[in-house]
Amino acid sequence: MAIPYYPGCTLSTRGRGYDASGRAVAKALGLELQELQDWNCCGATFPLSMDNLLAMAGPARVLAGARAQGERVATLCAICYNVLKRTNHFLQGDAEKRERINHFIEAQYAGDLRVQHFLEVLRDELGFQALRQRVEEAREATGRSLEGLKVAPYYGCLLLRPQKELQLDDAEDPHILEDLLQALGCQPVDFSHRVECCGSYLLVTSAELAADMSFGVLQSAARSAADLLVTACPLCQYNLDYRQAEMARQHPGFQPLPVLYFTQLMGLALGLDATDWGWELHHVDPRPVLTEHGYGQVFGVRRSEFGGGPQRTPNSEP
Amino acid sequence: MSYTAEMRESIKKVEATRPRRMEETHRRLTLEEQQDLLRRFHPDYLREGMRELRVGPNAGDRTPNEFADLLEARSRVDPRTFDLSRVDYDTDVLVIGGGGAGASAALLAQEQGVRVLLATKLRFGDANTMMAQGGIQAADRPEDSPAIHYLDVIGGGHFTNIPELVEALVMDAPEVIRWLESLGCMFDKLPDGTMVEAHGGGTSRKRMHSARDYTGAEIMRTLRDEVRSRPDIQVLEFAPAIELVLDDKGQAAGAILMNLETGDRLLVRAKTVVLATGGSGRLHYQGFPTTNHYGATGDGVVIAYRAGARLAFMDTMQYHPTGAAYPEQILGLLVTEKVRGLGAQVVNVDGEQFVYPLETRDVEAAAFIRECKERGKGVITPTGQPGVWLDSPMIEWLKGPGTVEKALPAMVRQFKRFGIDIAKEPMLVYPTLHYQNGGVLLQTDGSTTVPNLFAAGEISGGVHGRNRLMGNSLLEITVFGRRAGRAAALKAKEVKPGRLTLEHVLAWERQLAEAGLNPQIVSPLLLPEYTRHVR
Amino acid sequence: MTEELVPVFIMGKRYDVPSSLTIMKAMEYAGYQLVRGVGCRGGFCGACATVYRLQGDDTLYFGLACQTVVQPNMYLTQIPFFPAQRAEYDISTLQPRPERLFSLYPELLRCLGCGTCTKACPQELDVKGYMAAAMRGDIARVADLSFDCIMCGLCAARCPVGEAQYNIAILCRRLYGRYLAPRSQHLEDRLAEIRAGQFNQALEELKSLSLDELKARYKARQIEPE
Ligand SMILES: Cc1cc2nc3c(=O)[nH]c(=O)nc-3n(C[C@H](O)[C@H](O)[C@H](O)COP(=O)(O)OP(=O)(O)OC[C@H]3O[C@@H](n4cnc5c(N)ncnc54)[C@H](O)[C@@H]3O)c2cc1C
Ligand code: FES
Repeated sequence: MAIPYYPGCTLSTRGRGYDASGRAVAKALGLELQELQDWNCCGATFPLSMDNLLAMAGPARVLAGARAQGERVATLCAICYNVLKRTNHFLQGDAEKRERINHFIEAQYAGDLRVQHFLEVLRDELGFQALRQRVEEAREATGRSLEGLKVAPYYGCLLLRPQKELQLDDAEDPHILEDLLQALGCQPVDFSHRVECCGSYLLVTSAELAADMSFGVLQSAARSAADLLVTACPLCQYNLDYRQAEMARQHPGFQPLPVLYFTQLMGLALGLDATDWGWELHHVDPRPVLTEHGYGQVFGVRRSEFGGGPQRTPNSEP
Repeated sequence: MSYTAEMRESIKKVEATRPRRMEETHRRLTLEEQQDLLRRFHPDYLREGMRELRVGPNAGDRTPNEFADLLEARSRVDPRTFDLSRVDYDTDVLVIGGGGAGASAALLAQEQGVRVLLATKLRFGDANTMMAQGGIQAADRPEDSPAIHYLDVIGGGHFTNIPELVEALVMDAPEVIRWLESLGCMFDKLPDGTMVEAHGGGTSRKRMHSARDYTGAEIMRTLRDEVRSRPDIQVLEFAPAIELVLDDKGQAAGAILMNLETGDRLLVRAKTVVLATGGSGRLHYQGFPTTNHYGATGDGVVIAYRAGARLAFMDTMQYHPTGAAYPEQILGLLVTEKVRGLGAQVVNVDGEQFVYPLETRDVEAAAFIRECKERGKGVITPTGQPGVWLDSPMIEWLKGPGTVEKALPAMVRQFKRFGIDIAKEPMLVYPTLHYQNGGVLLQTDGSTTVPNLFAAGEISGGVHGRNRLMGNSLLEITVFGRRAGRAAALKAKEVKPGRLTLEHVLAWERQLAEAGLNPQIVSPLLLPEYTRHVR
Repeated sequence: MTEELVPVFIMGKRYDVPSSLTIMKAMEYAGYQLVRGVGCRGGFCGACATVYRLQGDDTLYFGLACQTVVQPNMYLTQIPFFPAQRAEYDISTLQPRPERLFSLYPELLRCLGCGTCTKACPQELDVKGYMAAAMRGDIARVADLSFDCIMCGLCAARCPVGEAQYNIAILCRRLYGRYLAPRSQHLEDRLAEIRAGQFNQALEELKSLSLDELKARYKARQIEPE
């Protein structure tokens, strides 16, 4: 089954490891992600004032283009998901504004596209039970598993909120990531900040506040003894990952925590070749801890190259 | 718009002969036949079109009437009242002209660590360079060599070129391509990096490098962007030079510019000056339409001549054989030689070939004129303009469907605006005034006969002799622009400037009077006069 | 044959001009001596960007004055200059990477994808498309899609968030040409040969030939087949 796929800009640049691992995972599961032809940026923020129609032209054009190519579109990026789905919701609910936007973008979009996050496809179409099955098979074939790995499932805000419009999961008490992690054979840890904002949206207005928020998220995950943290959002990934060097300087005893995309972890559990999944873009290198769990070869690296033990020094700027 | 009923009739004949013509190409002319054709039909040989200069270093030389009038005109500056004590800009190297030659000169001068001021008439880049479509020559394939390139250039120029200049041209060529690439020019290449190279009129090897059909634009906008990236180069737009300033030792020492918008005069003092003002197509010799940009009015030649610079080959202009003859709105605009390079033949009203499609430009143009004027086999448009067909649809047959769109996007766009699809229908063409073969006489370092005055590009004379081959001009402007810029900067470092003077302008007035001339017009022309004022 | 005259409104003022003229020639016919808003007169330089409307039609049209034929009741003005951002850079020290693009043109990420630029482009380029590629950091695609850009500035003039699309495009083309295009080995080889003086003798010989010898050589050239 081929699923029309909207990668978004970040996944073509800084988040290319997310894109590459997501496509590989989807393919292995028979859910091939087929990139839309000729797409543009979604705008990366959903316009908060409802009369800002111009800002909706970009995402509306994406939706109209996707509709011309199929009945649905899936994303990996939580931001694109949020913007596209909310724009879609808005266009569905307001026929008059939809007409005005249609006129501007020279399209006839009726609002009848389904916008999905890839997580939804996994849960509702493949099913986590089937996924668990595939993970078992991979374990038998490769002899590797994620068993014993403690993973903090981090949702952030854009994937779930506003719940009324997105309806992916319960915004206050979600469990889709936990269910997924369980299917992958690792151990999800519970932590207090899993649905808190990481602060990335405040980076420009108040870097300090943003830093506090990210620090809170990482601290909370560390208290739960997580080995690493997974996310579905490239902005959270970057923000949480990149800031750790600074945190290490400011907070003595700070323990760096690798931040992965859920698709990267899925790929490992499914026994895929992970060489090209953007590991070099991670500031806190996740490879040592994964190597510890027996995944050294998938990076094309032997364990000793990391000096044997868990060595979580932040990578230098790529 | 598209074609009239009569033209359509003729196109039917073109289509009818096309399958047969796919198999046969008109033979090349012998050297003797070429000479005969030129003498009888090329505009350069028309007696009434030219006259002898009466003053200046080239007195006695034949020059087109329109150019001679400007060369023998009065200055726009009154040398008796102009205040040379108030200097508006002080620089080391003054580059006059913001085309490809000027930009190249400015870059190389700056690289020598001197201050550079580039003054240009219109916007920076509003220049003939921007319009070149076909390509730039350089012998960089194993089958080719600078020596073969040399032979092509010299033969194309009817063996009149200055050998040392040709040598510099062909030997620097590969380096120039490398340089342009390092600045970011996107030349057409195969996936393995091999340059896509084609023939041009008069070449014996394929060495025409191109950037789709925006070669000149690609070079110009890249050079311009690079100039703008260098803070040590100051650019003044809408500020044409109207007179050179010398010092009391007779060395070039600056120029007077005119702010085109306010009319104010600006004095630039410089240690050396590079003239790169390009050609003169907008003088419309013998009433010919032109391919040139709006500012191609020969200004630099005029002010250099008044300052005592020797000129060369002023009696030869290049008429490009394929100027658009229809529709009227684009009359005279260039249809790139690449169209013939890609295999399109030239045919008359009956759809028959009458000349080898890739003769040198002068010969090709003369053949078109003969076909229309002597043999009466041209196609006549509603405005009475004659023309012959350039059979562009052949390219699709020869090179595969879609080639025209891919290789000639600018041409396709140009004609599509007027409802003509050149992949399906031929274009009507007739010679148009294209290039000034002659100009300010050069040395290989770009120096002229006036101390501290350098020149490069279409303004110059000697490189191409009596006829330039396509693709050698973009080459010339970069080769000699670079050479002149470098030499001007090195010279600027050792110059001992004297006192500024306009003595040469006074001397010029005396010479005019001695020759019994009392010209009423002033020069340089700056802008062609196209306005129609009622009453 | 007397030509049909049609009314056009240049900056609001009416002139009757022959119906076959381009906007540029019509302005000259009307008596304007153009200084700004004119360059190549052949659709290559982008100096003559023009905006117009037709009476009774609410669409705003864009074109090049040198390439667009007048229409009756056309209201037009030229936009010969429009201020736009241009980043400072030294191409020789840049890296052809998305991050560099974003740091030189941070406003790139403000693009709304609204497509107003595409509508304004007189070259009919997919401006929005290349901006989308730029936001993805796909430098090669920007270079390809923007290749025919004549930098007239209409896209920037119309952009609601103040992008300078054409400047971003030329940066990408230069990055592509310098860093991403495949290298030409034959060119490098030739440069090495020239440096080694391999052609000096041949050229000296050619320069020393008499006119007749030179002509004979020229005639005897082997012409490489098409
Ligand atoms: C339509 C067309 C197609 C061509 N195609 C090709 C081709 O395919 N291959 C090839 O090799 N050659 C081609 N040529 C020829 C080539 O483009 C030009 O000869 C060459 O670019 C000239 O460069 P230049 O720098 O000397 O002059 P230009 O590029 O014309 O630049 C001269 C500059 O000086 C400025 N100027 C003029 N007067 C003054 C003044 N008084 N003060 C200050 N500035 C002034 C002008 O405004 C202009 O900006 C073509 C030419 C045309 C017109
Ligand atoms: S004048 Fe150059 S594009 Fe119109």
